[in-house]
Amino acid sequence: MLVKTIISILVVSSLLIVGSIYENKFVKKQFEDFNKVLTVLYEKIDDNTATQDDVYAVQKNWLSKKRVLHIFIPHNDIKEVDLWLSESATLVRDKEWKDAISKIEVLIELSEQIPKTFVLSWENIL
Amino acid sequence: MAVTFIRTLIIIITLMVLMRLMGKREIGEMQPYEFIITLIIADLACIPMADVSIPLTYGIVAIICVFLLHQILTILEQSGSIVRRIISGKPSVVINQNGVDVVELRKNNLGVDDLIESLRTAGYFTLDDVSYAIYETNGSLSAMPNSKKTNANNSIPLLIVAEGKIEYHNLKLLACDKDEIINFIKKQRTSLKKTEVLTIDGGGRVYFKEKNKKYRITDFRLKEGACW
Repeated sequence: MLVKTIISILVVSSLLIVGSIYENKFVKKQFEDFNKVLTVLYEKIDDNTATQDDVYAVQKNWLSKKRVLHIFIPHNDIKEVDLWLSESATLVRDKEWKDAISKIEVLIELSEQIPKTFVLSWENIL
Repeated sequence: MAVTFIRTLIIIITLMVLMRLMGKREIGEMQPYEFIITLIIADLACIPMADVSIPLTYGIVAIICVFLLHQILTILEQSGSIVRRIISGKPSVVINQNGVDVVELRKNNLGVDDLIESLRTAGYFTLDDVSYAIYETNGSLSAMPNSKKTNANNSIPLLIVAEGKIEYHNLKLLACDKDEIINFIKKQRTSLKKTEVLTIDGGGRVYFKEKNKKYRITDFRLKEGACW
């Protein structure tokens, strides 16, 4: 009985440790990639050369990531990114560069902040 | 995952400390940590089930963390008496050869009325029906019958004084007043403050326990009109 208990403790602890490390790295990697794509879009909007297809490409990139991210991230955070992206697509189509750039800035900020909620820190624990 | 794990850990430890501080009356048939785990698991399972905005992983990780902690506590409990005492506490002997141990009762946030209630549940209706009574770590009461006691009681005793305080409601049932009780206590060569337990049944049989002294059984002359 004691051996079984010790084995279960070791297995579960290892699973939790490996899971935590994987989750941390995976979420960080996904958002780093997303951040790069957003930065390119930001520069294009800043030069007034972005098209709606550029935003759609970012949306497509996000769509492929978010399927797996749903496992780790609160769904409301994902919905927020969806909404900001949709809004920026319309603004880029209407060539409202000032508003579009502010939307992308929010998205960049989100892509930096969301992975931080997975880091072991006082702010996250408390 | 790590954040959820640590948050769950903090909540469980807080609950465990609080449960241990609450004493034995709050538990009921479970070890303190088992009670906490039962309490938490139901909620942990419900929240991600009901709230679709929370990933299922959060609930699963927290439940796994609870399981892990349970296994660790089980091993620690088996590892030694000191650890066991910290986690589950120790049994409290609340009635010994000297009678009711009020200090021990207080340590567990219990009163004499709680003890009398537990004894009744166990099938003992007077305090001298048992020679030993122990509150186990799971909150249940174990009692050893008093082999010296031979005469059966005709009525259930009423708690008249508990830890130096008169129970006026019970006094009314015996149709006597505060002065009579104080005079009775004076006849026992002590004061109300030093009286830890005083019970009187319908036949005037008294269980009297003075601070730091062995209990004694004596008689109290009841007036006519006592409705107990």
